[in-house]
Order: sequence, then C-alpha cells, then structure tokens
Amino acid sequence: MARVNNWQLGREMSYWYPESRPQKQFAAVFDTNKCIACQTCTLACKTTWTSGKGQEYMLWNNVETKPYGFYPLAWDLNLLDMLDGGKWNESGERPVYEGSTIFESAPAGERVLGWRPEDQDYSYPNVGEDDCAGQIDGGASIAGSHDMAWFYYLARICNHCTYPACLASCPRGSIYKRPEDGIVLVDQGRCRGYQECVKGCPYKKVFYNAMTGTSEKCIACFPKMESGIQPQCFVNCIGKIRMAGYLNTPENARADNPLDYLVHIKKIALPLFPQFGLEPNVYYIPPVHVPTSFTRQMFGPGVEKAIETYRSAATDMDLAGLLGLFGSSERVMTKWRRIGETITGLDDDGNILVNVPLKEPVHIRPAFDTLHQITRVNCP
Amino acid sequence: MFTKKTILITLVALFLQGAISCSRAVVTTPDVQAVSAERITLDPNDKVWDAAPLHSSKLILQDLVDPRLMEASTQEVFVKAITHGGEIAFRLEWADASQNDLPGPREFVDAAAVQLPTKIEASVPAPQMGEAGKNVEISYWRADWQAIVDGRADEIAALHPNATVDHYPFQAKPLENDPNAKASAEMRYAPARKLGNNRSGPRENPVEDLIAAGPGTLSPGPNAWSKGKGVRTGNGWAIVLTRPIPEGFSQASPTQVAFAVWEGTHQEAGARKMRTGWVQMLQK
Ligand code: SF4
Ligand code: SF4
Repeated sequence: MARVNNWQLGREMSYWYPESRPQKQFAAVFDTNKCIACQTCTLACKTTWTSGKGQEYMLWNNVETKPYGFYPLAWDLNLLDMLDGGKWNESGERPVYEGSTIFESAPAGERVLGWRPEDQDYSYPNVGEDDCAGQIDGGASIAGSHDMAWFYYLARICNHCTYPACLASCPRGSIYKRPEDGIVLVDQGRCRGYQECVKGCPYKKVFYNAMTGTSEKCIACFPKMESGIQPQCFVNCIGKIRMAGYLNTPENARADNPLDYLVHIKKIALPLFPQFGLEPNVYYIPPVHVPTSFTRQMFGPGVEKAIETYRSAATDMDLAGLLGLFGSSERVMTKWRRIGETITGLDDDGNILVNVPLKEPVHIRPAFDTLHQITRVNCP
Repeated sequence: MFTKKTILITLVALFLQGAISCSRAVVTTPDVQAVSAERITLDPNDKVWDAAPLHSSKLILQDLVDPRLMEASTQEVFVKAITHGGEIAFRLEWADASQNDLPGPREFVDAAAVQLPTKIEASVPAPQMGEAGKNVEISYWRADWQAIVDGRADEIAALHPNATVDHYPFQAKPLENDPNAKASAEMRYAPARKLGNNRSGPRENPVEDLIAAGPGTLSPGPNAWSKGKGVRTGNGWAIVLTRPIPEGFSQASPTQVAFAVWEGTHQEAGARKMRTGWVQMLQK
C-alpha cells in the first residue's frame, strides 16, 4: 500500500497504488434539488450503452429515492455497517476525516473492504421507494407541514474516482484510469470476470455481464467527451440538474472553471460518501429540505454550509448565473463568466458556446385575445 | 464343527474385511505417471483410464497474493494421465456436492486447470503462475462453458428462466433479413466479444489455453490446442483435459505439473482458488 493525498478527507490515506493524478479529471456537479426522478437519464444511458444480452439488469445511470431507494439493494447501508467511519475532526480550517476508509480497513486477504450484491439485489429498482418516510397526520398535507416526511432523488453514475476501488481490486490490472481525462474503464479484452471490482466498488457501479463473461461499467460517454460534448445522461436531463467538465485539485482551483467554482470556491457541491476514501468526482448540491443528520453522513461535514450558500444564490448573481448555465448547452463548458446580466459558457479556447440571461424574460399574455376575439385556455 | 451361526459370522467378517480392503485398494502414486495408451479420449468414463496409475494431490489455499482464498474448500484432486501419438490427456476428479455452471452477479462457476512449465529446465518456474522469463502454460476448463458446449442456449433465459426482455435493438424488424447487419449490431453491445476475449461466449470448446509469467499476467496462449470435457460424478466432477505432450518430456526427462480447482459455491474465481505446488510428472 502507498500513501496518497485525499483532499476530500483532509489527510493522507493508504491506497493500493501510488498517487498519479491525470492531466485533467472528468467530474460533474448534480443539483439534487432539481431532479424530478423522470429517469430520462437512465433511459438515455440504457438505450445508448446497455441494450445487449447480459446487460438487461444493468443501470450505469440510476436514480433512486432516498432514504428508502437503492440500486442495488442497500448498496450504501451494507458498507456503512461494515465501515468504522463517520468521525470528522472539524476544529481546523478544513475538516479532517478520522475514521477508516475502505482501503484502510481491508480485511486480511482483501485489497479493499467490500461486499457482493446478488441477482435479487438488482431486481427491484425504484419499486415502492417513493413512499413518505413518516406519518402525515390528518390535515397535515393541507396545512403544508411535512415534518420528518421527506425524500429526495439521488441520480448516480460511476464517480470516475481519483482512487478507484474497482481498479485497486482487480488482480489482473484490467481496469485503468485514463491519464488524459481520469475516466475509469474496464479493458474488455483483458477482463476475466472475477467480479473483484464489483465487490470492491462501494457505489456498486461495476456490473458483471454473464453473457460476455466480463464486468462492465459507465464509460462517461468518452467518445462524446473527447469531442467536447457532455454525456448522454447530462444532455438528456429534463431537470437540467447536471453539468459535466473537469475539476482541479483545491490548490489549483480556477474561478473561471464552473466545476472548480461550485466545488472549491463556493463549496456548494459535495462528494458522495467521501469517508469511503475514493475521492469520487461526481459532486452533489445537497437537498435543502432533508435533515442534515442524514445528508452529513452521505455528503460529509460541508452540508450545512453548502445549503446556506445555495440558499443565498437569490442574492448572489454569480452563483445564480452559473446555476442557470446547467443544461443550457450540450457542449462541455470548461470556462464561464458573467458580464452584467449575461452568463456565458465557453470552451478551452474561449469560444462562446452559450449565453444565458440571469433571469429568463417573462411574458404575460392576457387571457382574452383581442386580435382573435377569443379567450385563451391553457390546455390544447 | 461349524454351526450355521459361525458360518454366518465368518461370512460377515469376510465381507467386512473385503469392504475395508476394497477402500484400501485405492493405491495412489506420489507423482503423476503418464502411461502410454492405445488412444486419447475426452471421455472421463472411458476404460482406457483403467490402466493409468492414480495420483492424489492435496490442494492448498492460494494465500500468497491478494485477493486470497482464506478458507479452504476442495481438499484433494485425483489425477491420471495418458499419452498417445504426441498428445497427453489428464483426468481430474474431485468432490463437489453442488454443480455451479450458471454465471451471474455473485454466482461463480466450478472450474479446474492443469499447469505445465513452458520449458523443461533444471530450475522450475514459481509454482504459482510462473515468473518473469519462466512461463507456464495452462489448460483451463469451466463448468458454464461445458454447459454451453452441451447445448445450453446463449440467451439470458437460459440463465434466468423467468427473464423477460422487451426488445434488443439488434432484433429490430429491419435487420431480420440481413444477418450481417444484425450480427454487427449485436456486437456493438458486447465489446468483449468484439475484442475476441476468450471469456465471451458462445463457445465450442469448454477449455481455454493460457500462458502466465507470474500472478496477474495470465493471457491467452499462442496455441488453442487444449480440448476437454467435464461430467458430473456421483459426488463431484470428473474432467479430461488434453493438449500436446510438453516439448522435451520423455522417460529420461520428467517435468512438473500443477493443478487448481475453483469451487463456485465458495465464490472462487481467479486468484481465489485451491491449488497444488509442482508435482513431478514421469513418462512411463
Ligand atoms: S464509482 Fe466504482 S466503478 Fe466508478 S471509478 Fe469509483 S470505484 Fe470504480
Ligand atoms: S433526467 Fe435529470 S431530472 Fe430526470 S431523473 Fe435524471 S437526473 Fe433527474
């Protein structure tokens, strides 16, 4: 085991291989507050990549309803049960994780702490998970008070982790992290289907294909990313909750990189289960309406601050403007700027990809159309 | 004078003695003795095996490299070997109460392998997968491949009888009369097959040829010359693996051989296996 720096933990940790960061790192921000669980992203991925034999059960992108939704069943709870985690020292400037990561708590004979889902665990995605978590007393819905009765939608893809557990678990070195963009791939020519990666990935984002005899996973639509276009689940997102790009380390953060701005400067987007130790690269704006006792465990100790800053977007033209860029272009916006009330997404060379107004203009049409002498109705 | 009773007791005693000596009659050799046979067979129940001496190899845990097998499963493998006309055949038999030939998430299949040094040299390669500059050759048999060779369809319904699939894009109507377009559309969703990964079905041979030069280096062998067949016995598997006789192997020049067994129920695959060290193999 080597010693590597994991900035999400605020400390060094043990990993199977020495630290070797890619030239740039594929990353994403998902705004959980805007997801409507329409599953368009899931279908966009499914029809593009996993319509083959043996892929029937695979959802490289899935959306689950927290707290009771999982795919596969109890993927997070099982590991949280096994892991000696949860301890953060928040006395310094940056929180420091004082629990164990899955690499540091690997049992004898294992490379990481993991577990294996079985067929059944994949069998019921989204069934019955949209039920309220608490009792709503008579009349409460009318009064509008839903104390303790909350849920939210968590869209998940592979995190293209800086320290992938799938990669560390493979005894054959069949999984690699591309030096040019940090995308993590299973070499389909080399994989022999031992399912060690399936056991090792805490997010359960590698899947065994019984028909090809190999394990398969999200490829971050790398042919699209290579030509500057965001992946399928991003460009098809109805709620416009997603933005794909490249993330720097905190010390190299640039204010004109949209992801750096949200993750490092405003700190409103947080990693999923940072305590696992993989430095995952999909960042979530936490749901504002969920008890933070729950979201702290899922997104780490930055949750309260992130929500506070997110709520302040109404008076923060930069933040509001950048959030408005989400879903505005299918191109990868590696840079952004705001001039007055116009927000611009740009590519690496400074070419303008899209301009969006800070506030969408509102047109109110009178109910009575004087030209046609008819009253408008809202249904076709 | 013998009474009826003493005769009965004597008969019972003789019978018991016979039964005991029968079980003792399994004489095993400390090495693998490849005997010349009138023909090579793929059938583990062929009578040509009767003449071959039986070797019993104790299996040990693969606990040298991570991930390891921490808990022992299959205890021993019984081995016979025959040669004929440039070919060598190994017959492996081991106890395994459950037949595991359905792969899937957390579903692992029974398998076994024979390993030989690529070159017969005074200093042998490391027994576990060889080492750099000292390759080993492996013939590897799998129960799910056997099931496919024996006629199981290359369909998800063969693994999950209750599975329903709405639609595969490559089964779309416009492709029905164009087998080439259909096959290429199907390939698009099976990159491992497209790349010619031996793991990917459909298969005509339940055995794969591999080479290795140390743990983690296993690769397809240059020659696809191994064949094989596995059948269930009353309490486990009996399989035959054939391949050309190792170069230089003769009565004057013995070689080494090693065996490995994977027990599906125990979630064994890859490095998680029961194995032997090198066992001397003689040509008789
Ligand atoms: S989320 Fe899982 S599959 Fe994706 S890179 Fe991380 S460990 Fe690997
Ligand atoms: S398409 Fe967007 S809004 Fe719809 S479920 Fe997926 S992430 Fe949520």
